[in-house]
This record gives sequence, C-alpha cells and structure tokens, in this order.
Amino acid sequence: MMVRSIAQKEFISTLRDSRFVVLSAIVLLLLLAATVVGLHSYSTLQAERDAAQQTVNDQFANSEARHPHRMAHYGSYAFRPKSSISFLDFGMDSYTGASVYMEAHKQNSANFSQAQQSSSLIRFGEMTVAFVLQMLIPLLIIFLCFGAFTQEKETGTLKILLSQGTSLRQVAWSKIAGFSKVVALVVAPALVLAALLLFGRGGFELNGDLLQRLLLFIGFYLVYFFIFIVLSVVVSALHQRSSTALVTLLGIWILCCVIIPKATANLGATLYTTPTKAQLEADVHEEVAKGIDGHSSGQDERTEALKNELLEKYKVSSVEELPVNFDGIRMAAGEEHSTKVYQEHFNELTDIFRMQNRISEYAGFLNPYLAVRHLSMGMAGSDFNHYVNFQNEAEQYRYNLAQGLNHIQATQLKYGDKETRLSSDTWKEFQPFEYETPKAGWALANHLVSLIALFLWLVLVCTVGMKLIDKTKVA
Amino acid sequence: MNKFWILIKYEWLNFRADKGLLILTLLTLFSGLYGIYYGTTEIARQQENIAALDVLTEKNIEELKAKYPDGTDAGDIGYYHSTFAVNHPDSWASLSLGQRDVNPYYIKLRLLNLQSQLYDTENINPLKVLSGNFDLAFVLVYLFPLLIIGLCFNILSIEKEQGTLPLLLSQPIGLPLIVSAKLTFRMMLVLGLALLLSVVAMVLGQVMPDERVALWLGVVVLYCLFWFGVAFLVAALQKNSAFNAVTLLGVWLTLTIIVPALLNVYIAVKRPMPQALELTIKQREVVHGGWDKPKRETMDKFFSLYPQWTDTTEIQGRFAWRWYYAFHHLGDVAVADLAQEYQQGLQARHQLVEQLNVWSVPVNVQTIFNAMAGSDLPSYVGFLQSATQYHDSLREFYYPFLFNQVNFTNADYAKEPRHSFTSSSDFTTVYAGVYKLVLSVLLVFVVGILLFRNVKLKVK
Amino acid sequence: MEYVLEARKLCKQYQDKLALRDLNLQIEAGEIFCLLGQNGAGKSTTINLFLGFIQPTSGAAYINGLEVASNVTKVKEHLAYIPENVMLYPNLTGLENLALFSNLAGFDYSEKELMDYLVQAGLPAEAAKRKVGGYSKGMRQKVGIAIAVAKHAKVLLLDEPTSGLDPKASNEFSDLLLKLSGQGTAIFMATHDIFRAKEVGTRVGIMREGELVDVLSTTALNANELEKLYLNYMHN
Repeated sequence: MMVRSIAQKEFISTLRDSRFVVLSAIVLLLLLAATVVGLHSYSTLQAERDAAQQTVNDQFANSEARHPHRMAHYGSYAFRPKSSISFLDFGMDSYTGASVYMEAHKQNSANFSQAQQSSSLIRFGEMTVAFVLQMLIPLLIIFLCFGAFTQEKETGTLKILLSQGTSLRQVAWSKIAGFSKVVALVVAPALVLAALLLFGRGGFELNGDLLQRLLLFIGFYLVYFFIFIVLSVVVSALHQRSSTALVTLLGIWILCCVIIPKATANLGATLYTTPTKAQLEADVHEEVAKGIDGHSSGQDERTEALKNELLEKYKVSSVEELPVNFDGIRMAAGEEHSTKVYQEHFNELTDIFRMQNRISEYAGFLNPYLAVRHLSMGMAGSDFNHYVNFQNEAEQYRYNLAQGLNHIQATQLKYGDKETRLSSDTWKEFQPFEYETPKAGWALANHLVSLIALFLWLVLVCTVGMKLIDKTKVA
Repeated sequence: MNKFWILIKYEWLNFRADKGLLILTLLTLFSGLYGIYYGTTEIARQQENIAALDVLTEKNIEELKAKYPDGTDAGDIGYYHSTFAVNHPDSWASLSLGQRDVNPYYIKLRLLNLQSQLYDTENINPLKVLSGNFDLAFVLVYLFPLLIIGLCFNILSIEKEQGTLPLLLSQPIGLPLIVSAKLTFRMMLVLGLALLLSVVAMVLGQVMPDERVALWLGVVVLYCLFWFGVAFLVAALQKNSAFNAVTLLGVWLTLTIIVPALLNVYIAVKRPMPQALELTIKQREVVHGGWDKPKRETMDKFFSLYPQWTDTTEIQGRFAWRWYYAFHHLGDVAVADLAQEYQQGLQARHQLVEQLNVWSVPVNVQTIFNAMAGSDLPSYVGFLQSATQYHDSLREFYYPFLFNQVNFTNADYAKEPRHSFTSSSDFTTVYAGVYKLVLSVLLVFVVGILLFRNVKLKVK
Repeated sequence: MEYVLEARKLCKQYQDKLALRDLNLQIEAGEIFCLLGQNGAGKSTTINLFLGFIQPTSGAAYINGLEVASNVTKVKEHLAYIPENVMLYPNLTGLENLALFSNLAGFDYSEKELMDYLVQAGLPAEAAKRKVGGYSKGMRQKVGIAIAVAKHAKVLLLDEPTSGLDPKASNEFSDLLLKLSGQGTAIFMATHDIFRAKEVGTRVGIMREGELVDVLSTTALNANELEKLYLNYMHN
C-alpha cells in the first residue's frame, strides 16, 4: 500500500515536471525518427542488394555457352542481405562489405561497405533505434532518478517518510517502480511501432524466429533500463546533494557509453595484431604452392602422384585413356587444397578478431552498456558472428560452385579439351546463392558472455545496491 | 597582488582540494596520452605493414625469376606478378587517424583489369572500426568538451549553492571580475592540458613542422574557447548546478552525436551511392564477355584507343596474352564512366559534409583535423586516382613487351615502375573550417555576454 | 556632518509587495544601530540595499558618502558584512578562507596575523588549519567575524550575526562590537534579540511591514520597556 502510493507519487510528479516531459518528448521523437530512418535505409540498401543479386543470378543462369572452367572464373556474387530486424540496430553492418565476388581459385574480400563510401562523419555514429535505447534512454533515466533520494534529503521529507514506518528499501523499491512506469511510457510507443513496421511489411505473417529475436531484443533492453534505474536510485541514495549525485551519474554514463567501448575495442586491436590481407594472401599462396596447382600442366610431384593413382585405379596407361577428364580432377584437387589452406588462414584471422572482441565482451562485466550492445547486435543480426557466418556461407557456395563446374569438366569433357562450350541449360541447374540469417538461438549462443554479464548486473544492483541503500545516511 | 590573480590563486587552491575535479583532469590527461600512444602505434604499424609489402613484392619476383630463369612472355608476368599501390600516411596522421583504418592504405595490383582490384578491402575487425579510433583527435573533440563542462557547469551556481556568493560580493570586486577569473583559471588549465598533449603528440609523431603546428594549436584553442563560451552562456542563465549539468551535457550530446547522426542520414538520402554494385557487376560482364567476342572486334576496339600498337601481328590461335590484356582493359574502359561517377559521388558526399558541418562545431573540427592529417575521404579518392595512374603506367610498361612480343627477362623487373603516394593535407578545407570555427566562437561569446549583461544577478 | 551610513527615502518594491518604504536613516561613526523586526519586516532587504545586492526602486543608500547603487564595487572597500549564516569554501581551511577574503579586500596579512584574527574571533587555532567543510555553524560564524574585523571597514553590516553562537561566544561578540565601535566603526545590525540590542546598541530601530516605525535611544529605556514597546508595535 505504502509502496504503491510512493510509486504513484513519483509517477505523477514526474509527469507534471514540464522539463522532464519535454526531454521525454524529444527522446521519443528521436526514437520514432530512428525507427523510420532505420527502416528507410534498410529498405534502400536491401532493394539495392536484392536487385544486384537478381541480376547476377540471371546473368549466371542465362550465360552464353561457355567452357565450364571459364564459367568457374566468371563466377558469381554474393550480396549480403540485411537481416530484417537490423533496421533497429545497424551494428557493424555499415562497416562490413556488401558484396563478395565468388570465383574459382580465389577468395575475395567483402567490398563496398557503407563506411568506405562515407566521409569521417559516419564515425560520429548513426541514428538508430539501438543508439537511442543504449545511450539516450539511460541519460533520461539518470535525469529522472538522480534526485530520488537526495531531493527527499534536501527537503527533509525522507525523515518524515521513514517516521511513517517505511523502510529505506521500501522507499527505494517504490521509487524504482514509479520510475520504471515512466520509462515504459516513453519506450513502449516506439517499440510497438517498430514491431508493427517489422511484421507489417511481411503482411503480419508471424515468423517465429523473427518474433523470438524481437522479443529477446526488447527483453534485453528492458533489463538494461531496469539496471540503470536501480543504479541511479542507489547512487542517489549514497549522496547528500542532488547536484553531486547527478554529476556522479553523468560521469558513470560518460565512462560506460563513450570511453570504455572505444578504449576496449582499441585495446583489443593493440594486443592482438591483425595480419594484413597482403601477408595473409602471401602465406596462403606459399602454402598452396606446395600442393596441386590446378592450372599448371602437371609438372609438380603431387599432380604426378594424383595421376599415377588414377591410372592405377582405372588400370590404364595414359591420362587420355581415363574414363574421366584429368583436367577436371586436377582442378578439383587443386581447389580442394587451396580452399583448405585458405580456410585455415581465414579461421586464424577470425580467431584473432574474436580475441580482440573478447576484451569488449568481458568488459560487459564492468559496463552493462557493452553487454547490451553485443546482445542487441546479435539479435539484430548485425554482429561479428553473423558477418563471419555470411562470409563462410559465401565461401561454401563459391567452393561448391567451383567444384560443381570441375565435376562437369571431369565428366562431360575430354582431357585437354579447352574448346567445348556448354549451353546455359547446364548453368541453370546451379542453385543461385541464397543466404538465410541463422536462428535466434544460434545468435544468442554466441553472446553467452554478454548475457551472463547483463544478468549479473541485474542481480548485483538488486542485492549489493540494496545493501548500500540500507547504509544511507538519513541524518 | 592584483585581485584578479588573487581569485585565480584561490581557484587553484579550491581545484587542488577537489578530488572529483582532480580525477576528471587526470582522466583526461591519461586519455590524451593513451590517444597519442594509440595514434602513433597505429600509424607505425601501418608504416611497418607498408614496408613489409616491398618484401612481399621481392619474394614474388624471386619466385617468378626461379620459375622462369630464362625469362618468359610478359603475359605470364602480368598474370602472376603482383605489386602494390601504397598510400603512405602523412606525418600528421597519427594525431587524427580519420578514415585510414576503414579505407585500405594499399592495393594489390596485377596487370589484369583494374576495377576488379581497386576496391578490395583490408582485413578489418568491424567491431573495432565501429567503435572508432581512440586517437588524440577523439580526445580533443569528444573528451575535452566534457572536461570543460565538468569544470564549468557550476562555475557560478556553486557560489550560490554553497552560500559563499554574498560574502564574496561584500568584497570590493564585481561579478564580471569573479566570472572572468574563474573562466581564466579553467582556460589556463584546459588549454595548458590540450596544448601540452598536442605538442607531445607532435613530438612523438615526428610531424612535419610546418604551418600546421600553428593551425592545429590554434584550432585546439578556438575549439576549447567555443566550449567555454557555451558553458559561459549557460552560466549566464543563472540556473542551478543540476540544470546546468544536464543542459551542457545535452548540448554536447546534440553537437557530437545527434546532429552528426542526423547529417549522416541526410547525406545518405541526398547523395546515394548505387554505382558501386552496378560497377562491380558490369565490369565482370564486360571482361568475361571478352572471351566470347571475336578477337578482331576486341583488338580493333583496343587499337582505336592505342593506335600505336595497331600494326602489331594478327592474333593467331585460341589464346594470346595481348588479346587477353586488351579485353581486360576494355572492361575498365566500359565502366570508366561508372568508376568516375563513383569517385565523384564520394567527393560530393564529402563536400556536402563540409557544407553541413556548420551545424556542429565538433564535426567541423574533426573535419579540420582530418584534412590537416590527410586522413579523410578526399585523400582516399586521391589515392584511388593515383593507383589508377599507376595501373596505367604498369600497362604502358608491359605493352611493348606484349605487343612487340619481346621476352620479359629477369633484368626487366627492376625497370618496372613502383608506386608511392602520400596523403596530403587539404588546406582549403582547413582554412574554410577555421573561418567557420572563429565565427562559432564569436557567436557563443557575443550571445553569452549579451545574456550575462541583461540578466540581473540574484545573490540569494 | 557626513554620515558613514545613510538612507534617503529608500524604497524597494517587489512585484506584489512593498518590501521597504521610505527609509530615512543616518548613522555616525562609532554608533551601533540595531534593527528589530519580525521575519519579513524588511531588515534583510535594508541590508541587501546597503550591500548593493539589490537595486532600490527609489531613493538611495549611501555608504561613506557614496551612493551604493552607482558605486556597487567601490562602496565595498568601506564595509564589512557578516551574514546570518556564514558560508565558506568547504575545501579550503579557515585560515585560507580568511586569507582569500582579506586579499580581495586589499590586505596582505602574514599567517600569524591571520591566525590572531581567527583566535580573537574565538576560533581555536588547531581548527583554523582544518577544512571548513567539517566546521559547525558557530565555527563558520567566527571565521565570518574574523573576515569582517580583519577588513577594518568603516561600516559593519550584520544580519543576525549571533544566530548559531553559544551564549559565551555571543557575549564575546558583543564585547567585540563595543570595542570596534569604540575605534570608530559604525555598526548596523539586524537582529531578533531585543536584550542584545539594548545591551550593545546606541540606538534601536523597530521595523514593521517595510516601515521603520520607531527609533529609540537605548539610554532612555531599559530592556523590559523596550520589549514591551516592541511587542506593542508588532501587535498593532
């Protein structure tokens, strides 16, 4: 009863505070703007990529009559589709390449990221729903809660409240309840709009995975806001004056939302050196050179060994007599070897990136902002893992395409035949590249550290925080 | 002792005794030092990586020399030999890394068609580039305003809140003197720190000591003055400390994050860049189409561009390198318009940013810093152009071998042109930015002084 | 003759309230003028007008012959002020606070001299070297007294200066005021304390609703008579 009446008092008096109403209106407006802007930018980029993908798929299927190995070099493109929920959090999408050229023998980088097409202005940050939720709402919460206890101390009302038989904890929880209600009032309209836009485009067809992602996305942010509310109330309880409580909270905000994220990412890059692409390619080349060169006319030992193996298997004396085309076999063996070597190096590279990123992830234990940021990107499908997943899928497709074409060469063409051209009917049988965003469970499993960090924070503010409130100096 | 200096002396005593302010200042100092360390190591690493490219080229040449001890058709060399176009950092780049981490600072080139090679990216960790560079420019542009806000948000309000204002004003000193002494003390502290960090960064970064030293320091001073002006303006409203803190942080947030983010959206809508994907698709189509076109047609087209090779021998048989490189080049020619549009689009985006940065002083200052350090989009576009020219010179080097069918010997590698490009400062942008910055500073101070004069002091 | 403290038809009108009406007052060097009145009677308004913290609606206040409103900074060379609640820089010691204010008033005392002023005002020497943040109200009040005394001003403006002081310190403060007036300082003190006013004052003014309703010489009355008269004014 008492708790409810204090909560109600906080709720009503906040809504009557014109300054707060103005600030909330601004934040809500930014949130709505970010939703609309995010969706617009998502649709533009997605349409661009869809169109490009359609073009290259058509080009491949309707390609002129070509020699299969020509076709393998002609290759295809993978244009990274944006995850449909990524309009809420662009995450790393603006910094990751949009197109991968998939050809035989060669793994190409993902090119044309948004950031490369922008001036340094983009480094100031982008207007996304996640930005408002991660940075601005906590600021609003701080502004809302910094005086929770200090104001009552300054006006002397805390003593009166306590003399009525309320405990400090009860006062704290009722204030938290009141503030939570206010925050919900600001956030809810935007989240509802986002959900409507997200599902409205699909004709309100309920996509289970998307729904899961969205619910988790919203859930993590609600936990994050709650952590900030409790934290702010605790800090307020530990201070005697409102202004010092406010300054402390703003200091925490700056540290958590501005300095630590940048510092940890930079520290990671300093600690674990990224090899240059040139070096990586040279290493791959050197290692591949020890294997079979698909293009060379068969001087090296391994090609010789492969040849002998085949001759023995089919019990013939020359490659011309083989029932299969040795060119295609050799090409396939070379592709297999070079891909294996490349994949090893690529995995090493992603491991280095993962080690760099781990510092930011573990810093989530120091900073709930980082925890929620990783989880948010994970749910939006714009994190590092989704990017690597796309790269791997593209590489897998490239490999299968090249090997499929090598197989055609091995089975349908004669040895030494460089002239025969196959019609587009052959190419039509190849499935075009299609990328499907992995499941929500997969995305979540990649962020266990952040998940634990976020919930640890929740437990911490509710237990240690409340213990600290017990120690508040009333007089 | 002059009363002004007495006030400053006691500001110092007060500052020295305030743990919070000391921590804030030390935090900024250490952030600055880390920023300098990060910037210089990052640039040193880029330079090391660039130096390592020479080793890779040498290795590649050694390999080819071993593979073709008696020389070979230049076509083989053009296909298997790679060299690099490199974008050396300007000596100032360590102070402001700009887009140097996002845009590749070298491009691996073969004699093949250029447009399929020009946009290859470097290995970059997307989380790191998303988080941005913790360089000195970041510390100055983002964190120094916060230091100034932390030092100044209660410059006047604290005297009221702790009740010392009546006693202070019962002394024979005026309020303007008190406020100016307080501001002066904080300016000395902040400017001292900012200039010290800048000088340290210049020394450690071994920058070219030219007019940019004065420009950089001048911009740092002006930028700090701008934020002091904002703090002064808010102080003139004579509200309480909490109001001031929230207002100042709001201004900071608006200018350093919200306005830039909105400008980004505006620029993306106003200057879309659809050329990139179109370019990459079309280029492949033309190049690979080259295999299927009659050789005569391809060669005639090529000869119309390079008439000097017209009377070389007719292409015989299934394959000839000169034909191969001819259709590769025709692939580039076919998308030349798109490529140019793409680069112009990038330039146009940057120009729009330059126009719009009047809306945010931090964006303007970051633009100035990057322009000084040659680390923004224009220098990347400059590098792309330079790499294109380099590719042209490579073709010119190889064409006589290819068309006159001269054997490429091991002695010829040394004659191959090498590339070097160093990002240069964009002084036009710098001066335009400084001009805007001066106006912004004047504006806040004029408004602040007018406000300060018109508002009556409330002692109690 | 020239009065060191003078008000001529001094008026202060706030939006909805006349805080001070036509105050005419002359105080000579060496005089102690005590102003009695309820909360909100206009005592603090009068002091703030003499200090130049607020501007008069009409009329003028003079300190040492200078009009306050047009010489806001200059007049402060001639006056010292002790507010009802002396607030100091919490991060500085008592000694440093005194040094600051004396420096600003144009004096450059040695540490020993500063310490003497503080000890004279009743602050223990060991406390003078501690940060003011830990002081009680009475201790701050004593630093405020030291600041005022060290200024050697012609006029001393006091706004309920003894609130928060214990009786012993209050008595010592009274002695100090008598000593200062003996040296020629004019003292203007707003107070609730009728007995203290009778004890130290040469004249006592009674203020009601912004109006100085009576000025009495303390030699003519005893304390009980003064109290009776005061209450009489308040009840009418």
